[in-house]
Amino acid sequence: MKNLALALVAIALLAAAPFGLGGYEVNVLMIILFYVVLAVGLDLVSGYCGQFSFAQGAFYGIGAYTTAIMSRDLGTSFWVNLPAGICVAGLFGLILGVPALRLKGHFLAIVTIAFQTIVYLTISQWTSFTGGQTGLSVPPVGPVTIFGVTLFEIASLRSYYWLALAVAVVALTIAWRFVHSRLGREWIAIRDDETLAAAVGLDTTRAKLTAFVASAAMAGAAGVVTAHALRGVTPDDFTIWISATVVAMMVVGGKGTFIGPMIGAALLTSMPEFLGRFAEYKMFIFGVLLVITITVLPEGIVGRIKRLREG
Amino acid sequence: MFDIDLFLQYLANGVVIGSTYVLVAVGLTLIFGILGVVNFAHGEFYMLGAYAGITAVTLFGVPIWLALGFVLVFSAALGFGAEAILHKPMKNRDATSSIISSFGLAVALQNAALLTLGPQPQLLRTNLSNVPVEIGPVFLPLQRLLIPISMVVLITALYLVLRYTWTGRSLRAMSQHATVARLCGVRVERVAVVTFMVGAALAGVAGLLMSSVFLVHPLVGNMIALKAFTVVILGGMGNVAGAAAAGLLLGVAESFTSAYIANSMRDIIGFVLVIAVLLFRPQGLFGKAVERS
Repeated sequence: MKNLALALVAIALLAAAPFGLGGYEVNVLMIILFYVVLAVGLDLVSGYCGQFSFAQGAFYGIGAYTTAIMSRDLGTSFWVNLPAGICVAGLFGLILGVPALRLKGHFLAIVTIAFQTIVYLTISQWTSFTGGQTGLSVPPVGPVTIFGVTLFEIASLRSYYWLALAVAVVALTIAWRFVHSRLGREWIAIRDDETLAAAVGLDTTRAKLTAFVASAAMAGAAGVVTAHALRGVTPDDFTIWISATVVAMMVVGGKGTFIGPMIGAALLTSMPEFLGRFAEYKMFIFGVLLVITITVLPEGIVGRIKRLREG
Repeated sequence: MFDIDLFLQYLANGVVIGSTYVLVAVGLTLIFGILGVVNFAHGEFYMLGAYAGITAVTLFGVPIWLALGFVLVFSAALGFGAEAILHKPMKNRDATSSIISSFGLAVALQNAALLTLGPQPQLLRTNLSNVPVEIGPVFLPLQRLLIPISMVVLITALYLVLRYTWTGRSLRAMSQHATVARLCGVRVERVAVVTFMVGAALAGVAGLLMSSVFLVHPLVGNMIALKAFTVVILGGMGNVAGAAAAGLLLGVAESFTSAYIANSMRDIIGFVLVIAVLLFRPQGLFGKAVERS
């Protein structure tokens, strides 16, 4: 109950934020929300199920390009593209999950790196289908109608922010349910000792594949909303560095915890903004801080707090 | 019609590019296989080696062989520093720690290079580029020919060191079984430092050799590092001979892909190969069947 109350307060505060903040800050908050979905999604497969993945940026891109290409070729609206993007990304998650049944640790990390790079190279080179390096423009979400009645229109930054917030809340709720279900406990069992988990009769194949699919589907959802909010997609938004940043967010916040990746996403997204005056140096400082953080806080912020509490 | 002369030229180009992959990947495979560090910053060793070489040649006007020595020392020092950041504090941690740490280091080095050296690409100009060498139907400027030659010299030297010196023995012992090696009195800390220094030196030299063929810019390490990962897997982890063979194979495969299929497919081919290899032969093309988890 305490958790639920805290979550509701946080959502209410976030929903009210655009009334008190300028456009720039709302934009940063919106980007944080996208990364929250990506990082929590990655945490399902890496933090809870213990399977390395460096491909979250690829699934993000697959979601974004699905909506861009569907809008262009089929003329479908955001409300059709969102489930489509989630499904396509989830399907690719299933495909990536297959090697995970055979490979572990470093090897799995490398396969996901290879997958990420193939997706990036495909979207940047297949010019006739994906627009190549110039990318594609994506139409606005536009008016939202039910039974022919226009409820509201999603065109302004504020409305995109609220859309991102709504999608994030739904995605995080589903992720929370997953983690606290029987399936979530199976993931943790596989992470802690896979041989034992298989020995006591858990279907580790099914559990691992669902973790990959859930993780990819969340990234796909984030991708669809991002593509509409930013009005376009380019390959360079979905490189291995985005994946690595998402991994860093999860680890800095605390992997295997629910709140950790959110804190990591908020910190690492907003940190370069705090360095405003040193804008030129911000990526350099970002790299240095990342090295320092992981050296002194290996278990992440939330992991450290938990350990201190437990004494 | 199939043109055998052109085919040989593509083959030679592939071997030149492949030699670079070999140099970068051999260092990476040592660091990976012996210490278990997935070093994302390895491409930056290549990039900084290239810049160090360009600086030595253009600013101080030293001859290329002296620049080579300078790059070797500079890169080895870089490897020494990297070990202190990426490996020493990360021992007994799970693998993600060193991955994140090396990612942070890569970002920091790239941006330090951008800030100090600027984004404009540079090319090393030496008079060796103007010396043509013709071997049968194949034409290569001397500068390019030096790349496979240096690769063979360096890899042979490394092989001899690994085979016949105590340092080499302890490196191999570590890669076979770290705990047993430790129990037998291998000085693990020293092995780690040497591994990083050798790895960085090889990558740095590759950077210098290529800086007269391909443009050098601060982000050049990204793709090189990813390709080197590809080679490491194809060759089998920690397998120096495997990395050498796989590096040449990747270079030739890329050259043929861009010549006979499509230039845009060039960069993809290696990653497709990797996924196929890992699915059907997880120990790598040249690896022995060992536990891979």
